[in-house]
Amino acid sequence: MFGTLDISASALAAQRVRMDTVAANVANMNTTRDADGRVAPYRRRFVVFAAGQGARGPDAGKPGVHVQEVALDQTTPFNKKYDPGHQDAGADGYVRLPNVNMATEMVNAIEASRAYEANVTTMEVTKAMMNATLRLLA
Amino acid sequence: MFIDRLVNQTNAPLVERVVKFAAARHRLIAENIANVDTPGYRQKDLSTAKFYSLLSDKVREKKASAPGATTFDDIDLNVDHPTASILFHDGNNRSMEQLTAEQAKNGMLYMTAIELLKKQYGAMEMALKERIA
Repeated sequence: MFGTLDISASALAAQRVRMDTVAANVANMNTTRDADGRVAPYRRRFVVFAAGQGARGPDAGKPGVHVQEVALDQTTPFNKKYDPGHQDAGADGYVRLPNVNMATEMVNAIEASRAYEANVTTMEVTKAMMNATLRLLA
Repeated sequence: MFIDRLVNQTNAPLVERVVKFAAARHRLIAENIANVDTPGYRQKDLSTAKFYSLLSDKVREKKASAPGATTFDDIDLNVDHPTASILFHDGNNRSMEQLTAEQAKNGMLYMTAIELLKKQYGAMEMALKERIA
């Protein structure tokens, strides 16, 4: 029964990481430079889930879910905006903006929060079952 | 020895098996819900129909044999992969509605079995005390 709680907890953590990437993507929607100040538009990040608790951590190898990697979106092209006055505009007058799509991010955010809720509900059911079992002793 | 026989004469071992089955199934449902967004993950489940048929076989065996001779511990719980739901493009055959419904049903089965066990133990306790609690 405690193992079941761990399974749901691993999913909560994984969905939270997913939500973090969504937040980072939306926050960097208009970022045209990297952390060092060089002109390089922000690339959209996304999580890759894998079954099991992963190879690291105290629950390594147990059932559950983990984030295998936070990958960079190399396929979607950068958005372009004509703004010749912008400091980071190219020779053609276009500014390259991150390949973040607001609609995709919102769908991802909703999916993550629904999955989070489903796992919280599972935890509630698990707790109710544990409580019922404990009452057998009393 | 005395307690063992006393416990095994009632339906308690059978109900205990149901509790264990429901707990094992709940674990798998939790795993399925945790992996609802994992690409390539195949849902796991325990067959309730198979479990009930094994259980009823055992009940029949129990009725035919001497009291306390039948154990319910050897009913094995095999994991299978249901294929009834749609396989998505990411190779996952999730069905959130089915999962939550099964979780609710399974939870109720667990609670029912626990209540039955409680009643059985209560009756035994009453018999041991020789007075109505």
